[in-house]
Amino acid sequence: MTETDDKQDKTIPFFPDHFMTEFWVAVVIILIAVAVGVGGMIYPIGLGDPADELNTPDHIKAEWYFLALYQLLKLVPKTAGVLIPIIGIIIVAVWPFIDKKPDSKQQKRIRLIGTVLFMIILIAMTIWGGMS
Amino acid sequence: MFMSKFLRKLYRYGFLFMILIGLILVITSSVHAQKMRAEGKTLPFTDQPQLNRDLVEQVVVDLDIDSSGDVSSTLPPTPVQDQCLHCHIKGEFTNLWIPLSRWMILGTIGIAFAFGIFRNAWVWKNRKPWETFTVRISKWIDARYQVSDILSPILKKPVPTWATRWWYCLGGITATLFVLLGITGIMLAFYYKPTADQAYSSIQFIENQVRFGAAIRAIHHWTANGMVVMCVAHMLRVFIMGAFKSPRELNWVSGVVLLISTFGFGLTGYLLPWDQRAYWASTVATEIAGGVPQIGELILVFMRVGWNVTEATLSRFYAVHVLVLPIMIIVFMGLHFIMVRRQGLARPL
Repeated sequence: MTETDDKQDKTIPFFPDHFMTEFWVAVVIILIAVAVGVGGMIYPIGLGDPADELNTPDHIKAEWYFLALYQLLKLVPKTAGVLIPIIGIIIVAVWPFIDKKPDSKQQKRIRLIGTVLFMIILIAMTIWGGMS
Repeated sequence: MFMSKFLRKLYRYGFLFMILIGLILVITSSVHAQKMRAEGKTLPFTDQPQLNRDLVEQVVVDLDIDSSGDVSSTLPPTPVQDQCLHCHIKGEFTNLWIPLSRWMILGTIGIAFAFGIFRNAWVWKNRKPWETFTVRISKWIDARYQVSDILSPILKKPVPTWATRWWYCLGGITATLFVLLGITGIMLAFYYKPTADQAYSSIQFIENQVRFGAAIRAIHHWTANGMVVMCVAHMLRVFIMGAFKSPRELNWVSGVVLLISTFGFGLTGYLLPWDQRAYWASTVATEIAGGVPQIGELILVFMRVGWNVTEATLSRFYAVHVLVLPIMIIVFMGLHFIMVRRQGLARPL
């Protein structure tokens, strides 16, 4: 699925060599999915109480990937809490147009550290949101 | 020579023959079943508790129901030998599918086996070089459509060995998970009913009554979570390794669109069970969307189809989850893959 940028790279043909590697990865994924399915027959996901427009439950929990966002909204006023993720996504989307310098090992290290810090904060917020 | 030509023709048409047999079996067995049903000759399960005739006789006599002592009118007629036993196995539920499928499966295996024996013998006897079945099929297609001219450059593209490291798999894993979600999603959509009255019970039906329904639902649920994780992991890998830089800027942008689509799937799909958690989590989520300054109200009313989460919201979320987002994600996945293919993987530093 690639081209050689540098003609000195050692290469393998896509088909059948790389294709078979990818194929076995896909097979493993499917086997995990089957295992999850079997687990789902023993412990079905189930449902909560049917929806009732008149009764608000005490604890409303979102899906786990939104927990960090919900927790952020508990800490900052509503407008800011909505704008921060939106502006964040926009910055992420146009990042290649902001960061145009040719890449270097130092830049890579800065990005790595920044990403690790961001993920730690994100995971912490998610866990915090899950507990409160 | 004449014999082998005849045999070759016979086995070549063997599969067509099997299909014909199958059709005849379906028709005759359903006509047979109908006739038996009409004549009242269908018998109950042979493992059901049998009538204890002595006990009935005792009860009839003790209660003096029939003073003459003749109990024959109170008892059902003695059952005859199970008439279905000449085709079915004793104790087996006398429907049509089990024997039919037995004939079809074993018959097909038998035909395939016989064909294999004949083919091997013919090739050996004629000293022809052995071409496997797949090779013969691809040569047949290529002679007609010249597919290998198009496929060759794609399949033979050299892959640098650094591209076989595990972190380059994350995007492909995300795509595999999406395919799984699509398949399980279609299977769920076969039974799910997107109305306020029936959504909850249709999911209960899927989990309890549909064969493997609980498994399909579990795969769909957990694969969705897995896809979010893999999508973010892939994005982090690309970001850290600087693979978003020129000339790959648009690829990164299309990737962000895919990320937002993934979250959109999660948001819209979460409402569909229509239980308390789904309803109120979606209420809160749309409330947050309504917090955007100026256009927030518009967004909220558009998402909720009104001011509150109602059955109309469910319809809209279902349509987005099943029509809008799949089209969008497939289009952008196509663009994403084409761009990766054309430009190649970014070389690491």
